[in-house]
Amino acid sequence: MRNISSVLGRLAKSVSVSLVLLFAVTLTSHAQDLKEGASLFKANCTACHKIDKKLTGPALAGMTERHSEEWLIKWIHNSKLMVDQGDPVAVALFEEYNKLLMPAFTQFSDDQIKNIIAYVQDEEVKMAQAASAPAGGAAGGAASDDASSFMLIGMAALLLLAIGVIVVLNRVTRTLEKVIANNQTAIEAARLRNEAHEESRGLKFAQKFLKNKKLVGFTALLVVVLLSVVGWQGMWNIGVHEGYKPVQPIKFSHQIHAGVNQIECQYCHGGAFKSKNASIPSANVCMNCHNTITASDHYNGDVSPEILKLYRAVDWDPDTRTYGDNPRPIEWVRIHNLPDFAYFNHSQHVVVAGVECQTCHGPIETMEEVYQYSQLTMKWCIDCHKTTEVNADNKYYDQLIEAHEKLKKGEKMTAAMIGGLECGKCHY
Amino acid sequence: MDSNKKYWKGLEELNQTPAFVESNKGEFAEPIPVEDVLNEAGLSTRAPRRDFLKALGFGLGAVTLAACNRTPVHKAVPYVIKPEEITPGIPNFYASSFNGQSLLVRTREGRPISVEANPNAVGLNQGTDATTVASVLDLYDMSKLQNPQIGGKDVEWSKLDSTVIAALNKAVSGGKQVVLVSDTINSPSTLAAIARFTTKYPTASHVQVDAISYSGIIEANKNTFGKAVVPSYHFANAQVVVSVAADFLGTWLSGEEHTQDYIKNRDHKSLKNGKMSRHIQFESGLSMTGSNADVRIAIKPSEEGAVLISLYNEITGQALAGGTTNAKAQVAIKLVAKELVNAKGSSVVVAGANDVNIQSLVNAINTQLGAYGAIIDLDNYSKQYQGSDLAFQQFLTAAKAGQVGVALFLNSNPVYSYFKSEDVKAALSKVDFSLSFSDRADETATETKAIAPRPTYLETWGDASAKEGLFTIIQPTINPVFNTRQVEQSLLVWAGDNTNIYDFVKQNWETNILAGTGKTWKDILQQGFVYKGTSTGSAYLAQVDVAAVASAIVAEAKKIAGDVELKLYESTGMRDGRYANNAYLQELPDPISKVTWDNYAALNPKFAEQLGVGENGTVTVEANGQSITLPALMQPGQAMGTVSVALGYGRTKVGKAGNKVGQNAYPLASLVNGTVQLSAKATVSKASNTYELAQTQTHHTIEGRNIIRETTFAKYLEDPNSESGRFSDTHKTYDLWNKFEQPGHKWVMAIDLNACTGCGACIVACSVENNVPVVGRDEVRRRREMHWLRIDRYYTIEENGTKFTEEKEIANVQDFENVTVVHQPMLCQHCEHAPCETVCPVLATVHSSEGLNHMAYNRCFGTRYCANNCPYKVRRFNWFNYWNDSRFDNYLNNEFTQLVLNPDVTTRSRGVMEKCSMCIQRIQAGKLQAKIENRKVKDGDIQMACQAACSANAIIFGDANDPESEVSKALRNERVYYVLEEINVQPNIGYMTKVRNTLEA
Repeated sequence: MRNISSVLGRLAKSVSVSLVLLFAVTLTSHAQDLKEGASLFKANCTACHKIDKKLTGPALAGMTERHSEEWLIKWIHNSKLMVDQGDPVAVALFEEYNKLLMPAFTQFSDDQIKNIIAYVQDEEVKMAQAASAPAGGAAGGAASDDASSFMLIGMAALLLLAIGVIVVLNRVTRTLEKVIANNQTAIEAARLRNEAHEESRGLKFAQKFLKNKKLVGFTALLVVVLLSVVGWQGMWNIGVHEGYKPVQPIKFSHQIHAGVNQIECQYCHGGAFKSKNASIPSANVCMNCHNTITASDHYNGDVSPEILKLYRAVDWDPDTRTYGDNPRPIEWVRIHNLPDFAYFNHSQHVVVAGVECQTCHGPIETMEEVYQYSQLTMKWCIDCHKTTEVNADNKYYDQLIEAHEKLKKGEKMTAAMIGGLECGKCHY
Repeated sequence: MDSNKKYWKGLEELNQTPAFVESNKGEFAEPIPVEDVLNEAGLSTRAPRRDFLKALGFGLGAVTLAACNRTPVHKAVPYVIKPEEITPGIPNFYASSFNGQSLLVRTREGRPISVEANPNAVGLNQGTDATTVASVLDLYDMSKLQNPQIGGKDVEWSKLDSTVIAALNKAVSGGKQVVLVSDTINSPSTLAAIARFTTKYPTASHVQVDAISYSGIIEANKNTFGKAVVPSYHFANAQVVVSVAADFLGTWLSGEEHTQDYIKNRDHKSLKNGKMSRHIQFESGLSMTGSNADVRIAIKPSEEGAVLISLYNEITGQALAGGTTNAKAQVAIKLVAKELVNAKGSSVVVAGANDVNIQSLVNAINTQLGAYGAIIDLDNYSKQYQGSDLAFQQFLTAAKAGQVGVALFLNSNPVYSYFKSEDVKAALSKVDFSLSFSDRADETATETKAIAPRPTYLETWGDASAKEGLFTIIQPTINPVFNTRQVEQSLLVWAGDNTNIYDFVKQNWETNILAGTGKTWKDILQQGFVYKGTSTGSAYLAQVDVAAVASAIVAEAKKIAGDVELKLYESTGMRDGRYANNAYLQELPDPISKVTWDNYAALNPKFAEQLGVGENGTVTVEANGQSITLPALMQPGQAMGTVSVALGYGRTKVGKAGNKVGQNAYPLASLVNGTVQLSAKATVSKASNTYELAQTQTHHTIEGRNIIRETTFAKYLEDPNSESGRFSDTHKTYDLWNKFEQPGHKWVMAIDLNACTGCGACIVACSVENNVPVVGRDEVRRRREMHWLRIDRYYTIEENGTKFTEEKEIANVQDFENVTVVHQPMLCQHCEHAPCETVCPVLATVHSSEGLNHMAYNRCFGTRYCANNCPYKVRRFNWFNYWNDSRFDNYLNNEFTQLVLNPDVTTRSRGVMEKCSMCIQRIQAGKLQAKIENRKVKDGDIQMACQAACSANAIIFGDANDPESEVSKALRNERVYYVLEEINVQPNIGYMTKVRNTLEA
């Protein structure tokens, strides 16, 4: 069901998009390079501007109606100059936006600016189309209908089909019941015959099995061994939470942040490079990006509900773009829980030893939801210490390496060899 | 070469009392019930079938239920907006100050967890005293008030303000006095706030009174120099020090700063240069300072003045009447006077008496010795004690006459600490409105109408000026935890000034202090202090009418002379009683008696015998018409016919830890010539009940082993190796273990017995750093104190020039006045061949490649074999979960106080052994810092908590693999010996012999 509707929905979207595109292309009178405009716009403007919404700067929709092209080019080239020269429109804008000046883009040629303007106009038209289509429904007719109407029709069809099936099946049962009633005696006889046969077969097997003492003994032994193995395994895994994946208050995806967007681990988890705690980033770090990134493309122009949770935490109003004074901390659920008596220091491993985050945390950049990748048992720590070679570039180790060369020339020097297995290194 | 000196830890050991012998048989206070289990009845006991089934059923059920328990979900709550300077897991340090000492406060994730001395400070810059290290605990004290109160009920600050302002206006319009009673205030901004307050209310005045008064010195200096100040002392410049009843290394003025200076002439570096100062002490009770003296003469309190008169006569050749008749003192004074005169310019005499005449005579003597300038500094004088007993008298008289409209008490608790507390109560009842700024509803605060609780120094903006020209900043390291408000802020509000306290302090610094220093406010916040004084003072000459002073002294002495004389003294931990609710300090053993959680009447053993008082006996001490009953303590070294009692105990309204601990001895004091006197004529009589003091001294016996090595300075000069026993052991040693290389680090420690004064700051610092629990009086009695580091105190005895070496001879000693004392810090020796390691059945304690003896708590299951096998008796067993047990409710058993715990150190649970880890968390942190900075560990990077707290620099820690490190140099010293070296456990802590600068050797 869902499949059908999504397929239909997608079909409808692609049809509508292609129609709009066609329409739009015919509309644009200037033969501007939309592609260049698009890339320039995305590279330089999106930090502060959106087409349909006020951000740091004004919404760009309708800017050609508000200002002449000449004025716009001048403004984009050097807005400060205009304000300084006292252009009344420029001054008014400057005042309206908290006396924030738009950076000067002197590197753009007039044509490039024109391209940007064309792209903005083009996008504006597309948005207008998208907005008006479902309401009017006149332009595209049935073909440009959105997914929901398709779904309605599909559901109706399915309902009809289901009713049909029920009717047919009812008929079939009734016929079969009639047949049974007609052949009652014959069936009874066959059943009795079957049962007797079954019984004797099972009985015979059991008797045979019980007579064979060796087999019984063997089986009993097998069961005991099996249970012990399962028990042993179970015991060893008490308190081991490999694969632990609790539900988090915000559906934060490392796959999007670290995978798709390639954000360095250090950007959020700076503590891992300085301290024993990798530390979950404070919400203000999130806001560095998310005061502009709202993922509204995926939510029909609304802020993503997950990002809204972040806004609630820092008490940020995306419309007025102001912080309130009632922040509420986000209560994440801790995934990696070391017992209190085990001391682990991230910076020793990340900075000094140069261990990749993924070595312990797994393919974090592909995790939609983070889970505990490693066992985090002492055996797991020790196994790694036994095999990992000490980072010889660090001057701290000079003395040890020299001594090692004298004692065990040629062998690699592992963490275990320089005391990495001693109790007091982690338990104090 | 064994020393032939006999050391003993206490009289119990000396006399081999039955109880002592019995308790020494076993390692633990209670016998392990092995016999009970193994005897016939134990083994043949049959569990009835039904009981067995019940137990089985319960066991299975309990295990099943326990298994059902889901792993608790741990929340991780990051900051919403992280302060830029905070990285979780990394400490921040802030410059602040406590009692005028510039400090660095270590905070973790916004909560202060420990304090250390500011190493760049002027004056005391290495180490702190015990009360300073323990002060972090006061922040997390649950006994403090959480809201302002009027009439015992919580109110809003606005309500309190309107009430107070109304009362103040009423008092002013009615022409009545407004009096602010406080202890000494040297904080420039507090004084500025008080000035604003007194300007607003014209009838207001400020009275300063100290519970332990130094009025005598101030008055004497006013009379003889025209400067009404307490001077500061530079013992670093003194080669001969004579102290008459001044505990100048302990509680007298700034003991810790004196220690730092004094030890500079006595520690291993000074000895290396062939120099050592002389220190002669005359006193009644054995004080910490007396225990460090080269020569100590026991005198009665009434003889203090006479000794000084004799000394004056010897030095000047005059013949004032009233010299001492004490034969021992006469001999000593003759010798001492010569030394003092020979060392003119580098010799000094100090006296502890709070008496104008005695202090005037001391001034005359010091003028003769030329001590003013280099040693006694009247220019950069101390501002720690400016209280005037007389001013407080005037306040009481005025109040009783109904002339006082409003009385405010700041850091002052006269209902407890004034000797006539009824007088204070009566005066308070005549005052229209009274208020206390106390952080808790203490003895005085509960008598006042309102309480305006103040936050601790860790929560406030402020400053101090402990010495003329020295200004230290106090900056908050945490927001006020409770609904409290700074005193200065309150005074400003009541003066109608709404300046924020931060702006007020900053402004005061910028206009009054920083002008001309070239420093900015930000520099001060970073550096913590500014010093505008000079390095030494100029010379002064005392103008004293010596004859008049001497006759006054004689007259006064007659009043207190008697068969029995009482001496009250300030206790090391409680001080004047203000730290009574600090559990760390209550459990800190007294430096000499090793008593915790109590005060007592210290008596000479022979005197106690005469009184018929034995072990666990109690006595009633009566003086000035007041009497208290106290447990008796037989104190060797105590002068015959004297009794010493510590002040600071017996508080009733201080909090869970300190209430009803000991007896209040203040009522035994008296007022003579306008100064509070702590000596008196007394009677001591045996009381009927018995009381066991919680003493740690005999807990870990030395079994007669030769673990103290002591020599004299003369012998040392002849042969630096003298008495160290270094070359006595020439026999071949055998190792059970294979040799192993230690190519990385080899952490070792050197302890200078000559520098250690026994003050105990290291013990508290260790407890704070390593989350060592406080166990309480009852558990200490059971020998279950948890201190990882203890200071053992050993007595030796001499009589009439003969040393007693055999036990049976010691039994014949008639005079217990003449004891000498050695303090020995004892902690895990981190033996290379550790006996504890070999007996652990589960390998919970093992050796590291860096020379440390590791203890894995989570592996230990509590057989206590290791403690049994430790020759140094430094392992401690957790009998309870002290931090989560209602029986230990006076301290850590609440989530708020637990915030004081060091997050880098595990709290140990019940049933687990623990011991000194050599601050492994600090070692690891220091190594990691070096690795991150891509370098080797530098000497001095890593400091132990005990080392950082030691102002005498007696503890030196470092890497023995670095030949240039301080510790390597110290361990190459000829004086170094290893305790119990003969059993070849190869300890990693070396001790340096005690050197005593005595003349006869």
